[in-house]
Amino acid sequence: MVERADTPYGPIALAGAGLRYCYPLLLVVVAWELVARGGLVRQLFLPTVTAVLQQFWILLVEGEIVDPLLVSLYRAFAGLMLAVVFGVFIGLLMARSKWAKWALDPLVSFAFPAPKIAFVPIFILWFGIDHLSKILLVAFTCVFPMIVATYHGAVAVSRTVIWSAEAMGTPDGKMLYRIIFPATKPHIFSGVRVTVPVALIIAFTAEMIAGGGGVGAALMFAQRFFQTPTVFVYILIMLATGLILDRVMLRLRHWLIPWHDESA
Amino acid sequence: MSVASRTWLRSGVRSASLRAAWHYLPIAIVLLVWQLVVEFDLVDRAFLPSFGETLSALWEMTRNGEIGFNLLVSIYRAFAGLAIGSVIGVAIGLAMATSRRADEFFGPLVATTYSLPKSSLVPLFILWFGIGDVTSILSVVLACLLPVIVSTYHGVQSVPPVIVWSARAMGTPHRLILWRILLPSSLLSILTGVRIALGFCFVLTISVEMIAAKTGIGKLIFLYGENGAYAYMFGGLLAIVVVAYAADRTLLAAMNYLLRWDDSIHAAHVGG
Repeated sequence: MVERADTPYGPIALAGAGLRYCYPLLLVVVAWELVARGGLVRQLFLPTVTAVLQQFWILLVEGEIVDPLLVSLYRAFAGLMLAVVFGVFIGLLMARSKWAKWALDPLVSFAFPAPKIAFVPIFILWFGIDHLSKILLVAFTCVFPMIVATYHGAVAVSRTVIWSAEAMGTPDGKMLYRIIFPATKPHIFSGVRVTVPVALIIAFTAEMIAGGGGVGAALMFAQRFFQTPTVFVYILIMLATGLILDRVMLRLRHWLIPWHDESA
Repeated sequence: MSVASRTWLRSGVRSASLRAAWHYLPIAIVLLVWQLVVEFDLVDRAFLPSFGETLSALWEMTRNGEIGFNLLVSIYRAFAGLAIGSVIGVAIGLAMATSRRADEFFGPLVATTYSLPKSSLVPLFILWFGIGDVTSILSVVLACLLPVIVSTYHGVQSVPPVIVWSARAMGTPHRLILWRILLPSSLLSILTGVRIALGFCFVLTISVEMIAAKTGIGKLIFLYGENGAYAYMFGGLLAIVVVAYAADRTLLAAMNYLLRWDDSIHAAHVGG
């Protein structure tokens, strides 16, 4: 987790560092393979790593990895987009208007800790079992952390900056667009980075509960027929998706807000 | 905070309760709008029971013990998982922050598994341990573990080295440094992680119950949803939302009490 000071140079040193970083993961994989091969447990309960890899290849060729993944990603991101748009809007509103703060603060602090996943049956009732109910559940879950992140960012904007703008006669609308919003952007981005895994988790979990396509539904389907290697493949797909997206978010931060260098 | 709170203190209890009423008025308005919207048939009753119907369904379920039993089962699973996960999480986080070897071992594992939805492991756990408490609690433990590890790690890392050096210079043994220096100074960070984990523990418990379970509030909500008894479904949902809110507020109050000596708690936005 820590960036070490002694950064390695050259391909061999780099490979060595990579290996040193990955050794716990390799250890886990080797232990898994040994337990599965050693006949300590039945293949049904724990398939070998090689069986999982074979199954991954078969599923990949049949298109049963890419298609569900695209469905899940679409749901997660559509929901996240909605949450960001509404969350930023509401957060800025609460930071700038006393009345908005009064009206929304108790609702947000009440709804924030609520386990939104419990709303799955209601969202199914209202919006069906296809894309819409999942997208809206993701949005409903992600909007609260986005509101809070935006609000705290907008409140923390330096008074002197606002006063200077006011002294120069900046109108309200322009103030929001030119001063508050840009100054809040790093907070908004941190909020988005925290919410991306949440969006994925909710999309996957809602699919596991309610079905209707996507990686989560495929996972439950495989489990119902005791296709354990397939179950493992889908779990690893979820793991890889989360990891890759987190890397992407880090890159995006450097690209979108290069002036704000927060090492986290 | 300072001037305003002093004024409130002076003007006594009556205005404090008035202030609370004013604070929670928006929630009352939302509930009223909910009731009126259904009352005047602005939405289809088949899709949204009124607030009154929801309350009476909740009352009926409370009287026949349905809510109490399932809520207790869920709370037991959630809190058992949270407690186990927090203790292990603090231990691992502390080890990672104080030993380079532990950091190199757990670091990559934590980084890799952090974004994995722990509910995805439920099918495996069902296969290994069957449907029931073990599957639920284990999923909750795994979900609660990671935020606590990360926050403990960052908390202990940011303890000013000067304090540790001073303690060492005064001959404090290693074990005491752990208990008397490192843990207390990172308490705010640890508890912030526990608060995140508290949110996760309810989400995971309910997810697992909805995926596969025989008991629990998640199962209850799901069953009533499938049977089309929507007032009861909303009643169950209302119960768990209130419980989650109360748990969060209780932890927050506990944090404020435990950390009353810590100046940074006033700086940190724990009000939420």
